[in-house]
Parts: sequence; structure tokens; C-alpha cells
Amino acid sequence: MAKENRSVIQPRSLARARKVDKVPFVELYAGRLQGVVSSGSDEDRVYVSYFEAGTGNFYCSTNNNRPCGGLRGSPCKHLASLLDEALLQYGAERLVHGLGLSAEPDKVKRGGDLLRFIKGGPHKIEAGVVFSRFLTYLHHVSVKPTTAPIPEMGWFVR
Amino acid sequence: MALRDLKTPPASVTEASAALDALDDALVGGFGRLSAANLEALHGLHRSFAATPLAGELAAAIAGISRSEFLDRHFLVLAAARSAVLGAMHDALLAQACAALGRPAPEIEAIAAGAGQAAPPQVEVWLESARHWLMELALAGFANLELEILLPFQATLDAMSSEPALVRQHALLGGFLEEMLAVFPRRGEIAAPRRRWADLWARALVLAAGAPEPLRSRPTSGSLTIYGADLRQHDHLATLVVYGALAEEGAGTRLVRASVSASKVDVIQGAELGGLFAEVAPNLVAALASGQRLTLTKAPLLGCGDLIWEDSRTNLGAKAGALVEAAKLLAAAPALRPCLAPADRHPALIDELVFVPDSECAGGPPLPIERIPTTEDLLATDLAGNKGFVALLRFDGGAWGLQPLAIDKGKPLPRMVGAGLAAGAKGHKSSSLATLKERAGKLLRKKS
Ligand SMILES: [Zn+2]
Repeated sequence: MAKENRSVIQPRSLARARKVDKVPFVELYAGRLQGVVSSGSDEDRVYVSYFEAGTGNFYCSTNNNRPCGGLRGSPCKHLASLLDEALLQYGAERLVHGLGLSAEPDKVKRGGDLLRFIKGGPHKIEAGVVFSRFLTYLHHVSVKPTTAPIPEMGWFVR
Repeated sequence: MALRDLKTPPASVTEASAALDALDDALVGGFGRLSAANLEALHGLHRSFAATPLAGELAAAIAGISRSEFLDRHFLVLAAARSAVLGAMHDALLAQACAALGRPAPEIEAIAAGAGQAAPPQVEVWLESARHWLMELALAGFANLELEILLPFQATLDAMSSEPALVRQHALLGGFLEEMLAVFPRRGEIAAPRRRWADLWARALVLAAGAPEPLRSRPTSGSLTIYGADLRQHDHLATLVVYGALAEEGAGTRLVRASVSASKVDVIQGAELGGLFAEVAPNLVAALASGQRLTLTKAPLLGCGDLIWEDSRTNLGAKAGALVEAAKLLAAAPALRPCLAPADRHPALIDELVFVPDSECAGGPPLPIERIPTTEDLLATDLAGNKGFVALLRFDGGAWGLQPLAIDKGKPLPRMVGAGLAAGAKGHKSSSLATLKERAGKLLRKKS
């Protein structure tokens, strides 16, 4: 029977597990690919990076809004890492769709393969917008599990 | 047992389903611009409630919406009516299943209210925000969603996440929002999964009607044997539901459910979920892997057959021949077994526990297989050459199906969903979970 008449539908593509030490946070959210990338040199410093779907605009700064030195009109290494990890997490099809790129998903082997499809330029946004999403993300792994029944989870199969 | 007899649903269910489709079309197109066909569907809904207590409110709600009087109260009435139709469908389907399986209808045990805590005051504020947001969704229609409609609710949702009284609301609203956001950037009209999103919308609205009552439980003691488990999840929540038999001290053997739900993030998957579940239910996770029985001492049990897991009230016991026992007990299941509270009834949530003997699998399983979660612990291919399996009888898309939970392969332990979680429960320093928890420890402490 057609999907429109089913209550429970297993999603077609799932986010996948990946190592999170270098890039602890990646998400496709509200028309952006955004995330948090650890600094290679300073353990406590992180960079906040994003690409916007449609415009192809991007930006990278520290979480204190200091612009990334590697950002000179084209994406820096943090943005490249963000794409690499997003490819691992979401797979090519979902990533390409999520960014609204014209790339053929089958031909994407590395996140870097997508850089030439990014048509926008640097466009500053407040790092706090993304960083607060990261804090919420971390909050999710800090909430104590519950043993109360949740019948509604019967709708969510994957 | 005659699962093969469950070929077609009762005619009343098929008719009710068609009526729902007409109503759900209005949710897809949007109540802000109802077509003549949509209005006719609404009046049809009203006619089918003519002799019921909901008739008056339904008439007022439809009249109000028709003259563009958009109040969340009107939509709540519609959602309640839709839920009532699904509840009746659930009852007809369950009666059909019980007749085919030769088992009594499940019984809900009456349990007196305890000294539960009332929900804190901010709960009402969040629920009001949820009702308002759900009304906005209905006005726009699932096919015409915009980020401007979806995103403003995120802050309320995040605030709800720490409130234990709203775990059900948060689980549902979070999964629903996540699914709708996944269609962006949208290209043209959204191909909405009509029945599914209408289900999620209506259930969310009904759950947002008011602060939930505290759960009513009574203590139970006895020996629990696990027959199978199910794993349900969206990106931010994973739920392990264990099904089994409880030989209650001073009473007979009944079937029970026990569940653990862990807030999580998308990269936490597979065995790593075990680390989260084991934070509060280590014995349950261990027993799934080892096939051991569990001794319960004064564990809380709800009227619908749900154990509220308190690990300190459990002890691991001897190994059980779980599937041999399941074959015997489920051949004529006791009336005291898990079911849904009246307000929660829905065809897609029917979870009748059955044992399918290998004799019924000649030429393939007696009903289509569905809803196997993504896990290495149990694969659809494990059904080949099985010696019987434990399953949930499911209904969706107009047809009955079977969801295998545990499969006897002639080995000491069956293939069982959740058996691999214990491996992840030990926790590794290099795991994603450990890395994120460490960061959370640093950053969230700094923030507060
Ligand atoms: Zn950078």
C-alpha cells in the first residue's frame, strides 16, 4: 500500500555513526550545514562553521566570533572537515540535497569533492547561533534516561 | 492459532480509514484554505459523531473553522475526534486478532491513584505553546510548510527536554519536528506522508491538551523471563521495549512490557545505545544478552502491563529457555497482558505478543514481515530456517504484519533485538558517547 496511507515509515537514509573527536558536531538544520570543528593546535579552541543551502554562502570563526584566519574568499580547512564529516554522517544523497547542490551523489567520494559546487562566498553569522545548537546537542547526551513508557515511540522505527 | 486468517481487516476498519483520509487531506492542504471537498469531509466526520458526547463540540469547532475563527480549542476537538475514530478501529482490529489467535481480550488492571507529584507550572506554558504551534501547522498544511512556521517551536521543545512529566510530549514533538525539518531545503510542494503526519499531529495535540496525570502503579514481585525486545528511535531519543512473562508471587503468570528511553544524538547508534540504557537499567540490558531471568522485588507495575524499571529492585537469576516457554505461554495468552490505555489506542500501536512456530512458517511467514529495526542483533534473513520466533502482531497500511523480536535458530540463545547492547554498555573511552559526554561535562558546566 502507498506510503501516504501508512502510519509507520522507516526513513530511507539514516544518519550514520562516526568518530566525533575532531568534529564533535555536524548537522543539517534549517537550510544550513553547520557544525563545530576542533582546532588542530589548541585543545580548548573550537571553530564554528557553516554552509548555507541555496546561496552557497559559508563562514568560519571561533565561538567567540573571531574570524578564522584560513578563510580567504574560499572555504578554510575547517569547512572542508565539516563537509568530510557531514558526508560520513549523512551520506552523499542527503548531504547534496540538504545543501541544494547540483552534484551527482554517486560521484561524491570525499566531502572535498563538493567544494567546487559551492557557489557562494564568506558571509558572517553570529557563531552563537550555531554554538547554542551544539550546547543543546550536548545536553541531549546529558539527560538521564527514563523508564516511563512512551507509547508514541511506536511511530519511530529505524 | 491462525495468523494466516488475518488476511483482511474488518470492513468497519476499512470504511473508517477512508473517512480519515478525507479528513487528513485537509491537514495536508491546510485549514487556512479549505476546499469544498475538505469541508464536506469535516461535515462527514461530524455526522459520524451525531449520537456521541463529542457531537456538540465538533459542530462548534467545524463552524468556527469554517468562518476562519482559528482557536487551538477547535483543532483539539478535531484531533480528539480523529483519535476516537482510530481508537474504535483499534478495538475492532484487536477483537479480530484475539478471535483469530483464540485468546481473551487484554485486561487493564484498575490501580488506585498514588501520591504522585503534580506537574510544575511551566508545563502548562509549554503545552499551550505546543497547541498553538500545532494549530499553525494545520493552518498552513503539511504540503506548504515553511521554516518560519517550524523553527519558532524549537526553543519550547528544547526547554521541555528536561521535564520528566513531559517525556511523551517531548519524544513525539521532537521526532515530528525533526522529520518535517528534514524536507528542507524544499523543492516545490512537500510530498507529505499523509496518514503518518496526521497521526503525529493529532496525537501531539491530544497530549498537549493538559498536564499529564501522575502514573498509577502497584508493587509486584516475581520472576521475569524476557521473550523479546524492540528498539525504536529517532535522532534524539532511543527506546528499548522489552516484552516478557512475569510469574507473580501469589498470582499467576502474566505478560509485561518494560521500557527504557534515552535522550541521544544521531551519531550515537547500535551497541553504543547500550551505554545510555545501562545508566538506569544495567540488569535489563545484561539479561537481554545473557538470557537470564530477573527476580523483581516490589517493582512498580502499571495497569496496562508496563513495569517501571527500577534496577535496584531487580536481580539477575538463572538462565531461561525463553522461547520454549514463550511457545507454551503464548499459545493461549493470559488476559493480563500489555495493552494500550483507552486514550492511547491506535491501530499502529497494537503490539500483541505472539509465538510463530516453525510449522506455521512452511512456505514463508504467515503474514508479511515489517518494522525490523536496524540492528545487527536480528536481521530479516535470520528467519530462514527458524525453529519458531517471537513477534509482535502489527497493523499498518490496511494490513496485518509480523515484527520479529526474537528468533530461535536452534542455538542456546535466540537471535534477539537488543542482545548486542550489553557490549556497548561497558563503555569505551574512545566511543562517540564518551567523547560527547566529556565535552558536555566541560561546556555545560562552564555555561551554568
Ligand atoms: Zn576555519
